[in-house]
Amino acid sequence: MSRLIETEQLTIHFGGLAAVNEVDFHMDEGEVVGLIGPNGSGKTTFFNLLTGIYRPTGGSIRYRGENLVGLPAFKIAKKGIARTFQNNRLFLNLSVLDNILIGMHPHQDSDWFDAIFRRRYAEKELQQGVEKSLELLGQFSQDLAESCYRRAGDLPQADRRRVEICRALASSPKLLLLDEPSAGMSPEETEVLMEDIRKVREKLEGIGVIIIEHDMMVIKGVAERVVVLNYGRKIAEGSFEEISNNEEVLEAYLGREEKDVAA
Amino acid sequence: MHEKSIIRGVFLIAIETAFFILFVAFMLTHQTGKTVAFLLFFIFLGIFFERWEKARLALLGLFQEMKILAAVVFIFMLLTIPFVFQTSPYLIHICVMAGLYAILALGLNFQLGSTNVVNFATAASYGIGAYTSALLAVHYHLSFWPGILIGGGVASLFGLLLGIPCMKTKDYYLSLVTIAFGLIVYILLINFSWTGGPNGIPNIPPPSIAGRSFRDPLNVFGFTLPFQSNYFYLIFLLVGGALFVAHRLHHSRVGLTWNAIREDEIAARCQGIDVTWYKILAFCIDAFFGGVTGTVYAHYIGFISPENFAFIVSVVVVTMVILGGMDNVFGVVIGAILLTVLPEKFRAFEDLRLLIYGVIVVTMLMFRPQGLFPQKLRIYQK
Repeated sequence: MSRLIETEQLTIHFGGLAAVNEVDFHMDEGEVVGLIGPNGSGKTTFFNLLTGIYRPTGGSIRYRGENLVGLPAFKIAKKGIARTFQNNRLFLNLSVLDNILIGMHPHQDSDWFDAIFRRRYAEKELQQGVEKSLELLGQFSQDLAESCYRRAGDLPQADRRRVEICRALASSPKLLLLDEPSAGMSPEETEVLMEDIRKVREKLEGIGVIIIEHDMMVIKGVAERVVVLNYGRKIAEGSFEEISNNEEVLEAYLGREEKDVAA
Repeated sequence: MHEKSIIRGVFLIAIETAFFILFVAFMLTHQTGKTVAFLLFFIFLGIFFERWEKARLALLGLFQEMKILAAVVFIFMLLTIPFVFQTSPYLIHICVMAGLYAILALGLNFQLGSTNVVNFATAASYGIGAYTSALLAVHYHLSFWPGILIGGGVASLFGLLLGIPCMKTKDYYLSLVTIAFGLIVYILLINFSWTGGPNGIPNIPPPSIAGRSFRDPLNVFGFTLPFQSNYFYLIFLLVGGALFVAHRLHHSRVGLTWNAIREDEIAARCQGIDVTWYKILAFCIDAFFGGVTGTVYAHYIGFISPENFAFIVSVVVVTMVILGGMDNVFGVVIGAILLTVLPEKFRAFEDLRLLIYGVIVVTMLMFRPQGLFPQKLRIYQK
């Protein structure tokens, strides 16, 4: 399995604060890596750096051998990096189907000229997109596929998450970044989510997944390797068992009292 | 079954005819009292259909089912307008102006409705198109017909010029940049001597086809229609063309992408959308529509001055889109017609025009920001 993405000493400063501080990260194709850490440790910022929303102030990002730093977000997305957002950024006033269809944007090419003068070509491409979108939706949930014309903003939170994952998958990405997908979910919904992630790995061979989570059950269930951030720095890396016994990790999550008590 | 279709067809024609008769009667009334009565009746009708969903859906279903018949009847009725108003050329003139504003509104809709770029520079592209074709016609005897394309093209170029600094700004600041651009164009038009300065450009030649000038009355089917009819039919075709283009763009990958940008720009970028390119595309197409309209206006009125392209014009078109329906092609045309016809019928309130536009915008944005005719769901055939 070849190297999918790696960062070297990746850093971003906001004013005087380093939100991500000299982080070395790597993963290969087909891996699932969990990214954990207390609130404010820089996990989402790390995602924003990988996807080109922020530009790092130091360090490098290499994706499949290519340098990503300096590329605009849309170009990075076209190269095969897709993501979901912590606060769910669906296109709320559009239908579920339209949301997924927009996810197919990188692989379509009809433009304004086609729309006006080459109608058949434009429509054919659109129609193909619709079919693929419905198929993708159907793999996650037949219910969603049937209510594909519902306004995305009217969906319950758990369904919105699934649609967002679907939208991210619509562009057949090679790297999928999930930002706290199970936040606010009930245990049953979380089970379904973990099943969804397994399905994704089956259907899209070789896809790499980085998942930010606070729910350790999810991390334990899907992540092969875990990276821990605290105050923007990587403080630990390893299997779930290894990092759950790591002192520095425990201290980061639980605070100093535990350590003082132990001493 | 066959008889049922015929009955439904006749019913459809009857409804369209009834609306048409109401429209004609409304246009022909002179007394303010009767005009207000008509207006109240239309508002009541609107609320009625809004509330009584069954009736509305049944009617819409009927129109949807017999689309072609409805369209043919509608187009036929439109074509008879110059005949119906042949004794009141001023009413035909209002229809021509309504058509011009409809095209402006359709153009602005790409930005305001589809992409949520609040552009207050419509008057600029309108004016640039008008002045370009007028100057070329008066000094170089350029005919109207290539003039339309050149007027549209030059305006589009300026749209690009405006778009570039706008890409560095967001939301309110972008609107301010467009306002500034409109003002700059206006002030330049007043101050350049080669644009005629504040006196503008007089004696712009009317278009002609096969030697017959648009200034001559139109003789057809034994009727002698006032010359405005020539422009009416021209505008009819142009609005048709604009609707065609707008509809096609909306129901395409481009329209969908514009909507994605409107809903959430950052998420759109993460879907691989080149936001800058699509926004500039909207600027250029909007400007092209404006330029074409400006060309027609210049050759219709025969005289243009910077006053015709002042900031208020941009405000009016923005109001039309907000009132009619954001990203609803049909809605913005209705908005344009309403805000062209009503001010003419309510001449008595001329002084309050700007106030009334302001009230409309605030009211709509507070209670119904999607407009009278909200954006319709995109339905794809299975």
